[in-house]
Amino acid sequence: MNGSASIVVQNLDKFFGKQKALKNVDLSIHKGQIYGLLGPNGAGKTTLIRCLIGATKPTKGKLSVLGFSPTKQKQKVRGLIGYMPQTPALYEDLTAFENIRFFAYPHQNENFSERINEVIDFVGLTKRAHDQVFKFSGGMKQRVSLACAMVHRPRILLLDEPTTGIDPKLREIFWQHFRDLTQQGTTILVSTHQMGEAMYCDRLAILHEGTLLADEPPRQLLWKQQAKIKLQRGTTVAARMVSHYPEQLPKLLHKLGLDPTINRIEIEEQTLEAVVLGMINEHEKHLNQGGAP
Amino acid sequence: MKNTLSRIGVVAARVLNQLRRDRRFVAISILFPLIIIYFIKLVFDVLAPPSFNISPYAVPYAAFIVHFIAFILTAIVLVRERTAGTMAQMFVSGYQQIEIIIGYLLAYTVLATAQSLLVLLELNWLFNLGFSVAQFASMYLVMWLLAVISMAIGMLVSNFARNEGQVFPFIPLVILSVILSGIIVPVEKLPDWAQVISYLTPLFYANEVLQELIAGGGLLDDWVMFVILPIYGLIVVGIATISLREKD
Repeated sequence: MNGSASIVVQNLDKFFGKQKALKNVDLSIHKGQIYGLLGPNGAGKTTLIRCLIGATKPTKGKLSVLGFSPTKQKQKVRGLIGYMPQTPALYEDLTAFENIRFFAYPHQNENFSERINEVIDFVGLTKRAHDQVFKFSGGMKQRVSLACAMVHRPRILLLDEPTTGIDPKLREIFWQHFRDLTQQGTTILVSTHQMGEAMYCDRLAILHEGTLLADEPPRQLLWKQQAKIKLQRGTTVAARMVSHYPEQLPKLLHKLGLDPTINRIEIEEQTLEAVVLGMINEHEKHLNQGGAP
Repeated sequence: MKNTLSRIGVVAARVLNQLRRDRRFVAISILFPLIIIYFIKLVFDVLAPPSFNISPYAVPYAAFIVHFIAFILTAIVLVRERTAGTMAQMFVSGYQQIEIIIGYLLAYTVLATAQSLLVLLELNWLFNLGFSVAQFASMYLVMWLLAVISMAIGMLVSNFARNEGQVFPFIPLVILSVILSGIIVPVEKLPDWAQVISYLTPLFYANEVLQELIAGGGLLDDWVMFVILPIYGLIVVGIATISLREKD
């Protein structure tokens, strides 16, 4: 296993009866990275996270979280990670402070109460800390849930669709929090099916029907695809499709030399959504033709 | 060990804190048995002749009501923890099975203590049973033990239910225990196979001890029956702890 990685997944299979939730997944996540799991519903994102927190046992393969096995050293792993589920799992009749204190208690460290106040402040709920959670909006509950996940200063945060159902402003605040945390050395694994926020990740895994289709930085995913390069001479526009355009563009321009008739160069990249959908459609076609997953 | 005990305390304190705020739940737990016992009194008033000795029936019926309500409420609350995801979150946060089960049991024991006491007081008042303080205290202990056992059974059942609805198929099993425990008909008169099932119900042991107390005997006159109650409770708590799992 890779010694410098915070999380290593090797040849991971997870079957629920005949249903194959994860098929031969390999990935490696480094310290301080925001690693995105992108895929449609049922792609296997939650199952992968549940394997990493030790809540479900892999059918086959190896997992390592900071050098520990989530199945054999569950309690050790759980002291090092913070997990935020898809739907906030909170006690509605307790206050935000009481919820955070309860879930943090088994891994409490020094200045416990101070730390709780610190995370409440971090998620912007200081004024509502002693209000019962049932009075909170969905977004506020998500924030309490995030505070619960990070209160014990975990080295890895596993966030299962943390921004589902929250407004764009709060989403931006969440991602700012995530970036702040990675600057402090926290590694973040975040699942999402929102293309917009996938671009914020340092690296992105595309999952579809339990199969890992790609594992690359989002920019590289875009660059690999064909981009349309439009060259305008006067009023005439000539378009060329080029793949790996950051490498190909200088070659193309070099061929043209200092052509004074070119008065505009335009690059039309595919959107991440188009790239991901293209990959998924391709994979579906492959599966329908009876290909190996 | 110190950590385990402190985590049990934290789980119990959290549940008690919730109970303190969930007044509706506490009211249902306390008032429902009292209301049902009042209706039993109305039935006895109509059916029983004035010379009829009510105690051998009224006290065990009250015990059954405590048993039933403690079972159903605990089972539903625990299943709610599962459906809300808080059970899974407790595991991920580092709580162990034993800490969750014992913590819950401790908190609900506070409720059972109040519930059993009020039921007996009402029973004494409505039926004018005229028990001595020693008899009353002994009956209270038996009823309290039965309530704690019922909560443990509720916890055990909740481990096999994915949602609140799946608790309901287990209800007939508890109702069946009123027939099999000897409250309505003597166990000896049941077929052999039914007698075997009787011995599996905690209400059978509670009824045996209660009948002894009503007849004027002491708590330990039939000490085997009495000792079986806490042992029964420990076994159920053990099975509930082992079977409490994070679902795959």
